[in-house]
Amino acid sequence: MAPRKPREREMLFDSVIALVFILVACVDLCDGATVVDVYRLIQYDMSGVPFGSRLASLNHHAASLHFSPHADLSRTVLLIPLRELNMSFVKEYIAESKPLGGLIFLLPRMFSFENKDGMGSNHQDESKEPLKNVLDELEKILIHANLPYPVYFAFEDDNIDAVLTDIKKNDVTGQPATATTGGYKFVVSATEPKKVVSPPITNIQGWLAGLKTDDDAHQLPTIAIVASYDTFGAAPALSVGSDSNGSGIVALLEVARLFSLLYSNPKTRGQYNLLFGLTSGGPYNYNGTHKWLRSFDQRLRESIDYAICLDSIGSWENELWIHVSKPPENAFIKKIHEDFSSVAEELGFKVNLKHKKINISNPRVAWEHEQFSRLRVTAATLSELSTAPEFLEKTGGLVDGRHFVNEAAIVRSVKLIAESLARHIYGHQGKNIQIFADNSNLAVNPSYVRSWLDVLSQTPRVAPFFSKSDPFVMALKKELEDHTDDVNLHRDVLDGIVTFYDSTSTKLNIYQVASVTFDLLLLLVLGSYLIVLFSFLVITTRGLDDLISLFRRPPSRKVKTA
Amino acid sequence: MTVFHFFNCAILTFGPHAVYYSATPLSEYDTLGTSIKAAVVYLATALVKLICLATFLKVSESDSFDPYQEFLKALIGFIDVAGLYFALTQLTHRNISQNHKFQAVGLGWAFADSVLHRLAPLWVGARGLEFTWDYILQGLEANANLVLSISLAALGSLMWLRKNKPKTLIPIIYLSAGIVATMPSITSYLRRGLGWHFPKVVGFELFTSLVMAFISWQLFAACQRPSV
Repeated sequence: MAPRKPREREMLFDSVIALVFILVACVDLCDGATVVDVYRLIQYDMSGVPFGSRLASLNHHAASLHFSPHADLSRTVLLIPLRELNMSFVKEYIAESKPLGGLIFLLPRMFSFENKDGMGSNHQDESKEPLKNVLDELEKILIHANLPYPVYFAFEDDNIDAVLTDIKKNDVTGQPATATTGGYKFVVSATEPKKVVSPPITNIQGWLAGLKTDDDAHQLPTIAIVASYDTFGAAPALSVGSDSNGSGIVALLEVARLFSLLYSNPKTRGQYNLLFGLTSGGPYNYNGTHKWLRSFDQRLRESIDYAICLDSIGSWENELWIHVSKPPENAFIKKIHEDFSSVAEELGFKVNLKHKKINISNPRVAWEHEQFSRLRVTAATLSELSTAPEFLEKTGGLVDGRHFVNEAAIVRSVKLIAESLARHIYGHQGKNIQIFADNSNLAVNPSYVRSWLDVLSQTPRVAPFFSKSDPFVMALKKELEDHTDDVNLHRDVLDGIVTFYDSTSTKLNIYQVASVTFDLLLLLVLGSYLIVLFSFLVITTRGLDDLISLFRRPPSRKVKTA
Repeated sequence: MTVFHFFNCAILTFGPHAVYYSATPLSEYDTLGTSIKAAVVYLATALVKLICLATFLKVSESDSFDPYQEFLKALIGFIDVAGLYFALTQLTHRNISQNHKFQAVGLGWAFADSVLHRLAPLWVGARGLEFTWDYILQGLEANANLVLSISLAALGSLMWLRKNKPKTLIPIIYLSAGIVATMPSITSYLRRGLGWHFPKVVGFELFTSLVMAFISWQLFAACQRPSV
């Protein structure tokens, strides 16, 4: 018996050492929790019909597009990069109302307004246009769908890309998220979204008074330059609308600046009043414009010679469109078109006229000038779009970002607008006079255009989520005050066809979790370990007991435990 | 971490102490009082170490490995040896043989160390959702620490309580004790000087503790031999 015990102890030692090294080799330390900014798909009701993402809080395991075809996804969040998006998959899941725990779309950084210079992008930007088309189509589908689960947008970065790689690896090997490997759990702690009651809209109005001669008793005519400034998009916190209608706002501000220089000197002041309007509610049938016009008194409304509305003039190349509601044979329309097209011809591009009759019984207002036309005011919309967008489309959504707007196009638009207005005001028709020639003190200022475009490209502007005294609205007001007199804020409430819900952006916590199965296995391993340890200690103790029980002291039996 | 996982990690951290106590003759010889006294001595030693660390060490802005600061930490770490000396020599032990005395002291010492250093992180971690391997590794580290503590207690018993040691073994005993006593500094150097990750450090600790336990066991057995 005595010679066997040391060998038994050494074997146990070797086993323990081997177990330890195996365990150490299996351990793979991973990163801790990741926190990602996420932006929720808009939630709204239209005439009581629910649309958009109807939930905000999220607490599910994550999966990628490589999930098993038979997997139950009702308690799973799908993490889908836009680069791998299969549009038929989205259509299938939305049309068939298949249950999902949630959706998170990963957008490339080029769509982020915080990524102005394109730094930190891991991917090539050469695939801009296809990604833009995919995102545009996705946005249309999501806006018009009713999704009973949370839908969020996030931007690619190193952390979430690493998480996505891990999730894909798990999904490819066919391990469900609740297996021993655990997986990732996505948690968004958010309260139930609440209705936004009485969403405020604010119109900003500026006025440049014309030169009034003493012998002239009648009211001076007025020209109105109008642009809508708020947006609508799939993610309200990301709807910056650089082109629609950031470009229009920038153009209006620059035109106001140029004409304030002219009108500040009595010698160059025209005999027309200039009315500048920055209106709200544009995506919703130009509701703000409608209310703004109804607040006009009769004399002001009758004095408007014509109104020119600016809409999406930031990414055109060779031609612009003037959209009108009166017939093209109308004398006023013909004059406007002649003014604009002659200036455009001199500047090297083309301005087309497009007539669209107003259907009074149709509540849809496609262009801003239609709100003027319904009140019998001559009006037109200058736009790069050849056809009118559908309701809640092309209203400054996810694809409308700084990367896709050309400031040179805005500069040319400003030049066209200012020169055409000046010919109308000063009666220079037919003469080749350029008041706003390049390199003169009345030239269009590209840095001014660029600065305001950058500001607008970083400011989400969905109307219900603006407060009454939003700093952006105050900034627009102050800028208009610098160039015009009599700046007024006209406040009203958005009409009730569309009801909005809050909770537009939040933080997503990504946890790497272990499953109960893993912990059960761990409990078994620990139990076995403790049993082995107990046995080992008793065996060594038994030698000691043998020593105590024997009252002799042979030298070969004097081994002690360490 | 879930509550289930918390219990698993707690079993891994504190279970071996209970198993050691119940499996060995310590439970039969009523050495619980000695273990409790050793634990109290450990807490007092930890307090003294804390005061010394706060007094003599400056807080470095960077996490780089500073040899002078680490040397100072190692010197302060020898307060543990002084505390162990006190626990082994000055505490009154009722009728407990030398074999059981050092085991009881080592066990109490290791248990107090685990309670002081690992119970709070374990409890705080139980509130979070995140699963990490850190708590399992901490439990394994507690096991290594238990083995090291008993080894150091055994070597201390040989150094301070046994009179007639073979002369050829005395340098080996002191060298082994020195290695075991500086083990915290060695692991700190591996972690911050060489940049080892936690799993690798824990693996090294487990391996080294088993090696030192084997050596201590052999030394203890060798010192027993001439007494018969």
